[in-house]
Amino acid sequence: MKLIKKGAEADIYQTKWNNSKAILKIRKKKNYRNPSLDLKIRKQRTIKESQIISQVKLFGIPTPLVYFVNLKKALIIMQEIPGKTIHDLPELKIIELSKEIGKLVGMLHKNGVIHGDLTTSNFILFQKTVFVIDFGLSQNTIKPEDYAVDLRLIKEILNSAHAKIMEPAWNNFLIGYRSIVGNANYVKITKLVSDIESRGRYAAVI
Amino acid sequence: MLGLGIESTAHTFSCAIIEKKGKKGKILSDVRKIYHPAKGEGIHPREASRHHIENSSSVLSECLREANTTIKDLDLISYAAGPGLGPCLRVGAVVARSLASFYKIPIYPVNHAIGHIELGKLLTGATNPLVLLVSGGHTMLLAFLNKQWRVFGETLDITLGQLLDQFGRSIGFASPCGKNIEELASTSSNYIMLPYSVKGNDVSFSGLLSATKSIVKKSKVDACYSLQETAFAMISEVVERALSFTRKKELMIVGGVAANKRLSEMLQDVCKRHGCKFFVVPLRYTGDCGSQICWTGLLESQVKQGALLKDTLITQSWRLDSVKINY
Repeated sequence: MKLIKKGAEADIYQTKWNNSKAILKIRKKKNYRNPSLDLKIRKQRTIKESQIISQVKLFGIPTPLVYFVNLKKALIIMQEIPGKTIHDLPELKIIELSKEIGKLVGMLHKNGVIHGDLTTSNFILFQKTVFVIDFGLSQNTIKPEDYAVDLRLIKEILNSAHAKIMEPAWNNFLIGYRSIVGNANYVKITKLVSDIESRGRYAAVI
Repeated sequence: MLGLGIESTAHTFSCAIIEKKGKKGKILSDVRKIYHPAKGEGIHPREASRHHIENSSSVLSECLREANTTIKDLDLISYAAGPGLGPCLRVGAVVARSLASFYKIPIYPVNHAIGHIELGKLLTGATNPLVLLVSGGHTMLLAFLNKQWRVFGETLDITLGQLLDQFGRSIGFASPCGKNIEELASTSSNYIMLPYSVKGNDVSFSGLLSATKSIVKKSKVDACYSLQETAFAMISEVVERALSFTRKKELMIVGGVAANKRLSEMLQDVCKRHGCKFFVVPLRYTGDCGSQICWTGLLESQVKQGALLKDTLITQSWRLDSVKINY
């Protein structure tokens, strides 16, 4: 097995499953965490990720296929998506694909799912299709505020990691998002995003 | 270049003098007087500002004496112009303005949070770090990009310092309570499940605060232990997320809560896993101090003239990611 990435909470290996290439994602024990808290987090996220990654396929979100889950070891074996993350694409391409990302997030929210970790590293472009990965923090929810937290996350990432292209990328994202959730929801949720931002520390009070 | 820095954003009134030669800075003096609210109470802005007024001249004189210098030798004066408590900020600004206008010395309004970062870089030697700023006023993860510090994650409600202080006060400690909680926590290893709230790269502590208050009746030490373990695990996780996303090879922790040993220990483990260098500001300079303001003023003077007196105001809400940095 080849280690391909040491992610924030899991290690990602390349492996084989029934003779085809696959990804093994394992949430290893973290020594700095209290053991019972550590076990709870790793188990919970492994369950959530493997469930929701399959659930969202039903409403047309491209995600990797889950092949195998071992709860005790907190590991998932899934299909490899051999593309490039959006984070690593040229800036113009990121701006262009932001619309598609907006649509995907809209589809998740429309069906009552938040991703919980919307960064540009969690979308992979492969053969002209954008795949969504890493559902460890995802949740089923019908609270509009949860959808707003999701949007704020990707906005924060665009504003920090992709500061130069923040405006066009964010606008495109919103166009895509609106086209899926409809105008009424769009207005409601983006208003909540501003509410959350205004609650931030030292936010400019408008 | 000889600079004087005045800090008065919250409970601390401090003056410091730093001598800058090229890129190096030498702290000649850093004198502080800290306002202590009664046990179980938080900062009262009026009382704190009164404390600052009463102590301002003695702190300034002592600072000059320790540095073995006089006001006339100063090349510039900087003061913390925000973010912070209005009445407190005004004391520092008034002192700075009076000195600057009477002695005709260039004056620089400085962002307090940027001060924490710049002083941290000076003292630790970190060059391109991911910064974890944890204090009573801030809980933020920052990285420098394109002339500004960008926020990669932050608290959605209260800060880590507030979490510890508000909980500590509720069990009768005097703020700042971090040290008391750390001491109690170190005597327990019995973990009680508490809400763990990480939202992407952001954290939320308000639910954790209420939940911890509700378990305190059973055991104070277990509550302190579980609070620290939960809150610091959340911080460590978002640090890991930001490290893996930004691919930075340095982590620097600054701000009052940087003094907590358990937090440092956990973050050290995080750094080991990601092959990254760990820098923590020396204990004496984790909390608010004049040096952070002084050093930032000295850095700004490389690219800017002093401010006009009419522009030397204060801003209670002044986010550090809105500051353009050209030095």
